[in-house]
Amino acid sequence: MSGTEDEPRIGVFVCHCGHNIAGTVDVEAVAHMASNLPGVAFAADEMFMCSDAGQTLIKEKIKEHNLNRVVVASCSPRMHEPTFRRVVEEAGLNRYLFDQVNLREHVSWCHMREPELATEKAIDLVRMSVARASKLQNLPIKKVNVLPTTLVVGGGIAGLRASLDIADRGFDVLLVEKTPKLGGNVAKWTHLFPSDETGADIIKPLIRDVKKNKRIKILTESKVSEFDGYIGNFGVTVKNLKTEKEERYEVGAVIVTTGFEPFKPVGYYSYGESPDILTLAELQELPRSEQLLKISNGKPVKKVVFIGCVGSRQPGVKGHEHCSRHCCSATAKAAADLRDRVDEVLVLYQDIRTYGKGHEEFHRMARQKHVIYSKFPQNEYPDVIVKKSKITIKWRDVLADEDLEFEPDMVVLASAMIPPEDVEETSHLFSLTRSGDGFFNPEHIKLAPLTTHTAGVMIAGAAQAAKNASESVIDASGAAAKAVGLMAQGEVEIESTVSHVIPELCSSCHTCLTACAYNAISMDETKDPPIAVVTEAKCHGCGTCAAACPSSAIVMYHSTDDQILTMVEAFLCPSPSIQGGG
Amino acid sequence: MTSTSLSTTETVDSQGEWEPKIMAFCCNWCSYAGADLAGTSRIQYPTNARILRVNCTGRISPEFILAALNMGADGVLVSGCHPGDCHYTSGNLKARARWALMETAIEQAGVDPRRVRLQWASASEAQVFADGVRTLTEQVRKLGPIRREWV
Ligand SMILES: Cc1cc2nc3c(=O)[nH]c(=O)nc-3n(C[C@H](O)[C@H](O)[C@H](O)COP(=O)(O)OP(=O)(O)OC[C@H]3O[C@@H](n4cnc5c(N)ncnc54)[C@H](O)[C@@H]3O)c2cc1C
Ligand code: SF4
Ligand code: SF4
Ligand code: SF4
Ligand code: FES
Repeated sequence: MSGTEDEPRIGVFVCHCGHNIAGTVDVEAVAHMASNLPGVAFAADEMFMCSDAGQTLIKEKIKEHNLNRVVVASCSPRMHEPTFRRVVEEAGLNRYLFDQVNLREHVSWCHMREPELATEKAIDLVRMSVARASKLQNLPIKKVNVLPTTLVVGGGIAGLRASLDIADRGFDVLLVEKTPKLGGNVAKWTHLFPSDETGADIIKPLIRDVKKNKRIKILTESKVSEFDGYIGNFGVTVKNLKTEKEERYEVGAVIVTTGFEPFKPVGYYSYGESPDILTLAELQELPRSEQLLKISNGKPVKKVVFIGCVGSRQPGVKGHEHCSRHCCSATAKAAADLRDRVDEVLVLYQDIRTYGKGHEEFHRMARQKHVIYSKFPQNEYPDVIVKKSKITIKWRDVLADEDLEFEPDMVVLASAMIPPEDVEETSHLFSLTRSGDGFFNPEHIKLAPLTTHTAGVMIAGAAQAAKNASESVIDASGAAAKAVGLMAQGEVEIESTVSHVIPELCSSCHTCLTACAYNAISMDETKDPPIAVVTEAKCHGCGTCAAACPSSAIVMYHSTDDQILTMVEAFLCPSPSIQGGG
Repeated sequence: MTSTSLSTTETVDSQGEWEPKIMAFCCNWCSYAGADLAGTSRIQYPTNARILRVNCTGRISPEFILAALNMGADGVLVSGCHPGDCHYTSGNLKARARWALMETAIEQAGVDPRRVRLQWASASEAQVFADGVRTLTEQVRKLGPIRREWV
């Protein structure tokens, strides 16, 4: 690597994060300790390091003190590492000469009642980071070309919108949908909020436009079976589920819009014990008719009960803790519509969350049409009893403080949105992590909700969390803009944190070849004995080979043995002179 | 490395009590993120662990663990993605494969293997991460400061 052999001149910036860090950690003591560490030329504490003022301070001090390494002790690097890397770069330093210490998520927020021990921990972490900083090296900034095609996985409303947006801007799309039909879940709904159209009314024109568009290649009844490569240059194998035939494609970006599945609430409210107890999704899929008929015997339905939050908002039940966000509004809409056709409509709810634009209005409309809303207690669910094809429902009304009973002809369960059954497969294919609700994690929930930790792979729509159709479409257009931005640039910077074999040390043992999951290492057979070589473009930077090599012949850039061990040493055996305030 | 023998510096809290020193290696994608979420969720856990971020648990060579114990860590935690969930598909499986060997090595070096802990904690499992730190800290607290003994 190009040398940074000059003496380290490290700048340490300790962030208060307002009260977030400084409320627990003695940031002044941390900065003071840092100023006494070897190699540190400047140390200070500052209110908000990520603010303009903080960023300017870093740049000024780099100039003023001729700093060649920067340590910022603040929030998680998973949030602001890119910000600070850019700042040091703007001041003329290589981005890899920056290191961040996590004093907020890993210290102040999780040790709020132990300020002294928290400060000790902060001091250790900063000392470790400074030790690492002095060993950091310049790495080249590498760029690769971006192929002008985006893969869209899932042809629901989000996938369709994203495909059209991208194609309209002049780039190609490969749209892969596992079912025989485009349209996803929205296509099935007969009572769509907030408009008065059916799902089919909304989705048909979209499908038509997508099918007409020459830039969009549609593969239905197909799934991605293999995925490799890196941002700008992914390889995708798509398998036709009917013919089992596989075909290979190359794309520059990916948008995952695999959506959700309506939860089948087996074990809730006697679901499955009578055909007249169905989910809201199943009700919506019934063909539209003048009269609502009982599934069991075809007789007209006179009394309907809806129950909210079925399989949603259950603390402690894995995958069912979230609010599914569509059901309050979807229930209000369906209840108001049905009220015109049946005698009584009752909605049993825990809370009502009709938060979207225009949603509160038709919730009110439902009430005006005399849909009866009754609130049941948080932990006392209504009882649905099926006896000789008669359904009885018993519950406690919180507001009237009364036990009530009703005999409906039909019970509709507003069940949760959960991830599709093959979500795990999708998450492994694209290396996506999932949150507690089972849906995919974005790169950052507030700052980067559409990108993921796999560079070049975006998520949109219900694949990210339970949400309604308009929110899904907003996501889709946003993710499409990200993909277009990437492709329009034509090239993108990639991480230089790859591994490298030092030929002189390689003992030709082949261990690293089996360690690497990406076939990034091969043996150069022209040498005698053959030596291992890393194909940098294929290397993802996991460092597994470096840990496996028995000859210590592999250097993992930015995570070298030396950079790691020096941190361990700085924690455990700081030389007495540098124990600082600790 | 400058130190080859067990360090004698011991962390002592303000009351003069010995505090276990835990070196924690976390992969960036699952456990480091899980630790972030523990903070964001204000889950409180012992202050003893110092987290060192690596890309993947596959990066963690047994040498790092042995070095940490050698330099006086009272315990070492390795935390990564669940098997099957590794951001690099299988780095954690390789870490796990090395683990048994590593445990034998530390036992031969006279260190109680209860001082090291390998755990899986995903980005959403803040509580699992925090509980892991607590479990190891309490376990090590019972064992006392690091020392070598052959039984
Ligand atoms: C009962 C009910 C009523 C609703 N009513 C309304 C309403 O009135 N108004 C409203 O705004 N919202 C409503 N919603 C919410 C709405 O359905 C969703 O917001 C919307 O469907 C999300 O769109 P999407 O494209 O993200 O996902 P989806 O509609 O789920 O589409 C995902 C697509 O991806 C495909 N797919 C999945 N996995 C793969 C894979 N591995 N490979 C290839 N393809 C795959 C699926 O087959 C599907 O076609 C309702 C939801 C429910 C359950
Ligand atoms: S949207 Fe309403 S019914 Fe659905 S889970 Fe949330 S609170 Fe319950
Ligand atoms: S593991 Fe190390 S020594 Fe063996 S082939 Fe790979 S680089 Fe060479
Ligand atoms: S760092 Fe990981 S991806 Fe890169 S060559 Fe080594 S094992 Fe393969
Ligand atoms: S990335 Fe977490 S264990 Fe590999």
